[in-house]
Amino acid sequence: MIQRLTVAALMLLIAALLRTAPAEAEPYLAVMTGYKCNVCHVNPTGGGLRNEFGVTYAKVLLPAETVDNALDSWTGKITDRLQVGGDLRTDWTRDTVPNSPSQQAFALEQFRVYANLTLIPDRLGIYVDEQIAPNGSQNEEAYVRYGSTTDGFYMKGGQFYLPFGWRLQDQTAFVREVTGISMTTPDKGIELGYEHAAWSAQFDVTNGAANATTGSGYEVTTQVVYTKPIWRVGIAGSSTQSNIGDRHVGGLFAGLKTGPIAWLAEGDLVHDQSLPGGRSLAAGLLEADWRVLKGHNLKLTAEYQDPDRHVSNDQQTRYSFVYEYTPLPGLQLRAGYRRYFGIPQNNTQNQQLILMELHGYF
Amino acid sequence: MDSALSLVPLASRVCVVFASLVIAACAGNGEGLDANGRPLVPGGSASLPPLSADLDSIQANIFTPICSVCHAGGGAPEGLRLDAADSFNLLVGVPSTEVPSLLRVKPGDPDNSYIIQKLENHAAVGAQMPFGCPTTQPCLTTSTIAFIRQWITDGAQPAAAAATVHAAAPLAITSVVPDGVEPVSASPPQIMIAFNHDLDVTQIDGRSMHIEKLMPGASPLATEIVAARVTISSANLRALMVWPSRPLSAGHYRLVINAGSPSQFSDIAGQSVAVGVPNELGESVISTFDVEVLP
Repeated sequence: MIQRLTVAALMLLIAALLRTAPAEAEPYLAVMTGYKCNVCHVNPTGGGLRNEFGVTYAKVLLPAETVDNALDSWTGKITDRLQVGGDLRTDWTRDTVPNSPSQQAFALEQFRVYANLTLIPDRLGIYVDEQIAPNGSQNEEAYVRYGSTTDGFYMKGGQFYLPFGWRLQDQTAFVREVTGISMTTPDKGIELGYEHAAWSAQFDVTNGAANATTGSGYEVTTQVVYTKPIWRVGIAGSSTQSNIGDRHVGGLFAGLKTGPIAWLAEGDLVHDQSLPGGRSLAAGLLEADWRVLKGHNLKLTAEYQDPDRHVSNDQQTRYSFVYEYTPLPGLQLRAGYRRYFGIPQNNTQNQQLILMELHGYF
Repeated sequence: MDSALSLVPLASRVCVVFASLVIAACAGNGEGLDANGRPLVPGGSASLPPLSADLDSIQANIFTPICSVCHAGGGAPEGLRLDAADSFNLLVGVPSTEVPSLLRVKPGDPDNSYIIQKLENHAAVGAQMPFGCPTTQPCLTTSTIAFIRQWITDGAQPAAAAATVHAAAPLAITSVVPDGVEPVSASPPQIMIAFNHDLDVTQIDGRSMHIEKLMPGASPLATEIVAARVTISSANLRALMVWPSRPLSAGHYRLVINAGSPSQFSDIAGQSVAVGVPNELGESVISTFDVEVLP
């Protein structure tokens, strides 16, 4: 068994070294490893289905304990051309809002399945990300991809997530809510991407959420990321034209590895003419992920948002403490505490949250 | 590489200092603000009004502090803006984009209002609202949702506050559903045109519009004319409903105001607005849309 694991680890190392474009799953893993998104994910901008390398990484290097036999041959590939994967998250949470009784509940947060069909290897493929539960099935991503997602230009057409900043697992992070660009807001359009050595770049033209009912304009989004083994920096921008008012978003984000700690930072500015009177907003995130031991990660996050930069005393902050334990391939346990601070007269801006999550993936 | 590694201790210290600065960036003290973080107006209150079954109260207690965190401005999911200026127009009598056969709010019928299905977690599509509940924020309690239910049962009347905001703006169309952006997957039971003011219903002729099915491609030639009936619900004088006389088959359509129609689109204060874009026949085209009838 030890011999097999050593071989697998060596294969991973060789594969990583051979790739000019290194990867990400949870973005802290990307910073920790120095990889770009496309090293571990089929989607060159990260998230969703893991490729063979990503599956192997998740089986061998991520968990505290590897399991012999059962998962040795699993790479998600059903045939040479069809690969599948999935994520199921279920949790128990207790929310406490001042002046209200606490709420606690078990919930199925999501069950998603992914599929990638390769029509012409390294050139043409179809990708689907479907949320199966809770409630009815809902398509998140479905697009045709043409070109190389590892080195060179590619193009996507269909419905997909927009590339903007850190693709965090927590879609309620202030930087994701304020920018309005997250893994809950896929959009329809086209993406032109470029991957080469340390560079990743995307240029998207999509409908834009503002035009969902008016059809009066488009959203243009662009992102450029430069990745080195222990650090990376990215810049992103998005501009939406709409008859309800234009919206412009800009962001800077960076990652740094210092020993066993991966640091993630992002700062975003938004100017939204579609809000009454026009409004400027800001949001920031600083996250530290400490890989305590193999399979153990301590995540500390501090967040800040200013919902109107021209109004004083309305800022909000949020702090999270989450322990992530990955005992086995395909299983992660998360437990954490989150505290919100906002203006004292608003109870929901001052809530506390305790969460426990079971995450199964393949 | 060595020089890079030697930077690690320095980088760690920079990160710790930066982290300390971020953590020191405290939340606002709320001075001079109302409960939703907006500057107090003279005579305003820093505390929320008690929750009651009217839109002013629902807006202040639910839509603004909870929903409009995401559902506001140009980034609002599904184009649904729930800030005080827009919530009524984009909710009441407006078909849902996720399930177009259901109205977001159907006055008098909370069970068949999509907003209730989303809040109570039995909608056919998508996640329960508020997004992330119960994982990252509390769900609305049954008693809180009961106030929204009651507001709908009572006819889903507009808010006095929203009416004040809109009164200052010129009369305009705020949305058309369906639109030219996303095809509808079945024949729409109605086409909705939302305005920002209550319309003067006496100026609108119920037979003033029709729907044209266009030839494939960019040709403006109509292959079919579908008669339509125009109505305005007394529950929402800002939403004009256009009812096709028969189901629309798959194809590309446009909604047209009849040439020589006596209809005028004006509000109850007498402000009028020219609606649509002239076509090759001199008629006004309000919108185009595609219908995809799936098997």
